[in-house]
Amino acid sequence: MTNSINEFENADLFLVIGSNTTAQHPLIGSRMINAKERGAKLIVIDPREIPLARFADLYLRQNIGTDVAVLNGMMNIIIEEGLHNKVFVETRTEGFDQLKSVVSRYTPRVVEKISGIAAPDLETAARLYATAASSMIVYAMGITQHTTGTDNVKSCANLAMLTGQIGRPSTGVNPLRGQNNVQGACDMGGLPNVYTGYQPVIDAGAKKKFEDAWGVQGLDDKAGLTITDMMAAAGKGTVKALYVMGENPMVSDPDTSHIEHALSSLDFLVVQDIFLTETASRADVVLPAASFAEKGGTYTNTERRVQLSEKAVTPPGLAKPDWEIICRVSTLAGYPMHYGSPADILKEINVLTPSYGGITYDRLEKGHGLQWPCPNEEHPGTPYLHRDRFSKGNGTFLPCDFKPVAEAPDDEYDFMLTTGRIYYQYHTGTMTRRTSILEREAPFPLIEINPDDAKKMGIRKDDMVELTSRRGSIKARAEITTRVPRKVVFTTFHFHEAPVNVLTNPAHDPVAKIPEYKGCAVKVRRCI
Amino acid sequence: MKTLAKKDLADLLKTWAREYDVLAPAKKAQGDIIFESFREDSFTLDYGKPPLPPKSAFLPHTEAIFKVEMNEFREIVAAKRTILFGIRSCDMMGLMQSASFMTRDREDVYYRAKTDNTVTVVMACPGPQNDTCFCTTTRSGPVAERGFDLLIYDMGDDVIIETGTGRGADLVSLYPLNDTDDAVAQKKIEAFKERAIQSIPRVDAVIEAMKMLEDGTADENVWEHFGDKCIMCGGCAFVCPTCTCFNVYDQESQPGNGTRARSWDACLYGGFTREASGHNPRHTQALRLRRRHEHKLLYYNKTDIQSALCGCVGCGRCSDFCPVHIGTLEVAKAINKVK
Repeated sequence: MTNSINEFENADLFLVIGSNTTAQHPLIGSRMINAKERGAKLIVIDPREIPLARFADLYLRQNIGTDVAVLNGMMNIIIEEGLHNKVFVETRTEGFDQLKSVVSRYTPRVVEKISGIAAPDLETAARLYATAASSMIVYAMGITQHTTGTDNVKSCANLAMLTGQIGRPSTGVNPLRGQNNVQGACDMGGLPNVYTGYQPVIDAGAKKKFEDAWGVQGLDDKAGLTITDMMAAAGKGTVKALYVMGENPMVSDPDTSHIEHALSSLDFLVVQDIFLTETASRADVVLPAASFAEKGGTYTNTERRVQLSEKAVTPPGLAKPDWEIICRVSTLAGYPMHYGSPADILKEINVLTPSYGGITYDRLEKGHGLQWPCPNEEHPGTPYLHRDRFSKGNGTFLPCDFKPVAEAPDDEYDFMLTTGRIYYQYHTGTMTRRTSILEREAPFPLIEINPDDAKKMGIRKDDMVELTSRRGSIKARAEITTRVPRKVVFTTFHFHEAPVNVLTNPAHDPVAKIPEYKGCAVKVRRCI
Repeated sequence: MKTLAKKDLADLLKTWAREYDVLAPAKKAQGDIIFESFREDSFTLDYGKPPLPPKSAFLPHTEAIFKVEMNEFREIVAAKRTILFGIRSCDMMGLMQSASFMTRDREDVYYRAKTDNTVTVVMACPGPQNDTCFCTTTRSGPVAERGFDLLIYDMGDDVIIETGTGRGADLVSLYPLNDTDDAVAQKKIEAFKERAIQSIPRVDAVIEAMKMLEDGTADENVWEHFGDKCIMCGGCAFVCPTCTCFNVYDQESQPGNGTRARSWDACLYGGFTREASGHNPRHTQALRLRRRHEHKLLYYNKTDIQSALCGCVGCGRCSDFCPVHIGTLEVAKAINKVK
């Protein structure tokens, strides 16, 4: 997030696009609900009529995968009506002319045809967003899990820069991170192309710095593979071994039969996890990891806040904290790694990672966390980014053209399947499905289908329904609801009984390589 | 009655701790207040309204109730000699109502074992601990009328200790306390009570809401509105001194061996009322919230309220902690607003 969670309290408007906030980030969702009650405005743009839509001043239902067109349409209206922030555009950005020329093609009428959002509604949304004193864009996987994920994110950023709704409190572009430490994992270089703090591996200076610190030579100066690439390479036999930590690709990755093939083609699979997952049960070696309560360390949350976590109970059996397992494996592999504690590791992070320079164990123990960038021990941390300048100086508009989903419905596969999550279960259910009260709330998968479609097909509540894509089939009970529009079905990826990623399309974003979980073509059949 | 210099309270607890597990308020490194076994270094008297009521002393969050080993089962009824020190009057009322509920038609042996072995020491409130306190409305504070074994009044440099039961008298005998003239002490106590009661505003909306629920004049849209907002976390039930619902589940360690346990549950969850057929008589969050609040303000009043006003003890914790502001106070006010 460019901004902070507390800033939701003072925002004048929220534009929520592709985030089922009350279900997935309920405490942030409740801040928006509270803000609504004091008079803030709320615009929800989502193909599903999510619970937050009931609170919205304006709920817009776009066709799946048309976000770039919708956002371009809003920018078209803003520029046409002169509502953009001319001073901000002039002094803080570059590339306005290119943006203007691209979005000029996305008139409200054109966008209505593409997205299904009525032109007057789009106009209202654009005006409200641009003219509110402080507007926050909030998004999640509904923006990113598309073949145009990167374009969607760029378009959100374009909109915020065009209106100057960034670089101030209660504004900004705010992707809500889905896990307690996914921000931290990225910050620590858990990505194929960077060291900690997003220092590129292709940068000779960064390479030298890490070589010196670690006492090694010849660190790889080429970006590595993304998960999507790794699985393809494993399938082809060019990747021979895989070390998976805290991830369950057998259930979470698209096109399961392709993943199954990839994993079985490996010479060697290691899985490090707290439970024997579907992926771990295929591993040659399983390394038992300690859970959050069984280890100390830090987490970095969605607002870039690094927080301390204390060990509460002793790990069972042979389980160990991940850092200890990695140290031991590394030492056995010939590179001795002897950190004594998470505090030791944080000391190294402080030295090698400028944005974490002042985030010491000592300071974390005394307060309630620090938000990076926090370059030195005197620095109080940064509640919101891009105040006086963007990281690169002026912000560059990166206009994008609309591209449809990779696999649109046709005569045979006539429904669009979109996938997501529910409140009670988490990801592949590794943890939540072992928690009795959560399992009681949501014991089995449901397929959401619109009442009109259900009626036509003779499907009643709780009937078993089969979804079939070009890649496979799953069966689950029907939930008949107007939450989904006609010709769209929705289900989650939490349940191994109906593993939705058997169906999903592995087509992915060309830059980020994120798969298009949010849209693929399926056919629907009532099971007899 | 007895008195003691306030600075000597820690020493008193230290003495008691030789014979009892003394659960006392403690301030943790980052300022959080919890009740834990007495330790001199974290013990505090500056604890206001503790975030959690003391109900877990009797109904632990999770508790094994029996074990199955080699096809034989063994009941686990666990309790140790405990002193619950420094609870507030509203929480004392919560414990009394809960104890009555847990033994009313069938005795809950696990709960009873703990109440039998626990001595309660109430610390009277000199005034509201924050702006959600409304015990004067629910007749559950600021000073406990009964139920306590010992009751302590903070008079500044000294405390006055009033004995409620023989168990309380046993505790008093363990430590050299000063005697004080009962009439003088009583006078001080009356003045303390008067000040405290005057400083805690009465919330007429609660009484009015109770009437409207009883008459059936409360607008049902109130529940729809709150149902839309509720994030179904169940937190209001977990911080409530009178919520004692639990779920029972089995954990198999090996085939044929395992533990049956119970853990806190909440009527805000769909699965709490869902029947085996899949039918749920409280199938919306609005209905579930209504059930919860009517339980506090309407149904319970006829059975177990121990001379209080209702099944809510006015601690205000649900209003303190609900992330979307659906506490008893907000519900009562909303019911009044649509009159």
